[in-house]
Amino acid sequence: MNAVEFSRVSKRFGAIEALRDVSFTVAPGETVALLGPNGAGKTTSLEMLLGLRTPDSGTVCLAGALPRDARARQKLGATPQNTGFPDTLKPIEIAAFVAANYPSPLAVGDVFASFDLTDVANRRLGDLSGGLQRRVAVALAFIGNPEIVVLDEPTTGMDVESRHRLWERLRARDCGRQSVLFTTHYIEEAQVLADRVIVIDRGCVRFNGGSRELRERFGRKRVEYIGNDGPIAALPEDADRYVRDLVLSQVPFRDLTVAAPSLEEAFLAMTGAMS
Amino acid sequence: MKAMAVWGAYSRLILIELMRTPSYVIPSVLFPTMFFCIFALPYAKTAAIADTEMLSFVAFALIGVTLFQFGVGVAMERGRPWERYLRTLPANPLVRFAARVNAAIAFGAVAGGLVAVVARIFTPVDLTVTQWIVLIVYAAIGAIPFVLFGMAIGYWCNARAALPVANIFYLLLSFGGGLWVPVRDLPSFAAAVSPFLPTRQYGDLLWSIVTPGNVAHAWLGLTLYALIFLLLASIGYRRDERARYA
Repeated sequence: MNAVEFSRVSKRFGAIEALRDVSFTVAPGETVALLGPNGAGKTTSLEMLLGLRTPDSGTVCLAGALPRDARARQKLGATPQNTGFPDTLKPIEIAAFVAANYPSPLAVGDVFASFDLTDVANRRLGDLSGGLQRRVAVALAFIGNPEIVVLDEPTTGMDVESRHRLWERLRARDCGRQSVLFTTHYIEEAQVLADRVIVIDRGCVRFNGGSRELRERFGRKRVEYIGNDGPIAALPEDADRYVRDLVLSQVPFRDLTVAAPSLEEAFLAMTGAMS
Repeated sequence: MKAMAVWGAYSRLILIELMRTPSYVIPSVLFPTMFFCIFALPYAKTAAIADTEMLSFVAFALIGVTLFQFGVGVAMERGRPWERYLRTLPANPLVRFAARVNAAIAFGAVAGGLVAVVARIFTPVDLTVTQWIVLIVYAAIGAIPFVLFGMAIGYWCNARAALPVANIFYLLLSFGGGLWVPVRDLPSFAAAVSPFLPTRQYGDLLWSIVTPGNVAHAWLGLTLYALIFLLLASIGYRRDERARYA
């Protein structure tokens, strides 16, 4: 049974078609990134998975059950939105409350330790920086030891160092059959964390596969060399042919490199090509 | 089991959040006692009058905190991202509803308790231990319809409107229920509708502790009101849910 299953899901808000015939799955133990420009339908998809919204047609399943069913959500852990915390509460108090919702939660102390939150567990959330609040939010998604973890932009608002540390934490977890579905604006995050990438744009799934495949299919290789007039960088359609032509033209050059496309370039090329 | 654990944990969270906002809690708790000191204390010269006045103002205190102060919180909080997160947790919304009710009553009990303490010190109030215990039980259970009323207002009015709307109901119902002016001194129109008001029924319930009265009528009325307000609050909740998460 799939951890997450979207099957021919459509949703419309008045004149706007938010999702059209969207199908994808997340297998047990898989980590999947959901990418797409703003307004592409990522949030709507997640809201359906969290039981907040229901599809107009098609079905969304959470471990084989409907997300609106509270018992199905015992298998789900999610992050609160960005500015979601009551200022006066402490992380430890919120975590204890969240743990009370689940049948076999992890020890709050252990989860906080694994996310480097032990020192701030007893401070009020209003006194914590945005990055720390975000880390608390991510930790909360794991407290219930759920089969499916949904992280909505887990590292937004974090500085580069905290972001990299959180990635380390997430990668170091022995997740077993725990699945993670996350959205992000940082393409690099998808490359580092995800087994698979789903790109959604204007309500449709445009790509569903490995990040390497996405790079190879949509990215262009970057060719760089130093010519007579100084350094040259190019993003040719066909890098092999570009290099062949360069050599045949007998123009002097040195320090030739052909770099694999970054996921970000591939993503921009792909969504740019569509809009 | 699980529902009980969530209920307890959520009540605790609500009360902690309240306690950390003293600028809200202290005036809310002091307000009914202040009214008691101005309007009742100077006239409570005999045990009989003091008992009745104290019971009226205990009722006034619980109604105030539960309906006007606390229930209105729903109107302000339902738009918060935090509420959105709570909905994703695997608990039935009814459990959170129930936690709100008992947290409101616990908070109201502090406001009512302060009235009782002041009355006990400064007036010839004379209740037996049994009567005090009955008062605690009646006051707590009888306040349920007012919490639900407050929540109904919270789900049907936006944050701006909820406060004045609750305020109007609070003051009119307290007056009409005979909590400020003894029932026999009410103007004729108010005296005519008074027996049908939840505030009057709540008053009757508490007054019955010191003077025999029609308790069955009061219980019946409060139960009916509780059901009506529960229905209104539930419909409001669903309505809000549809508007927010179509």
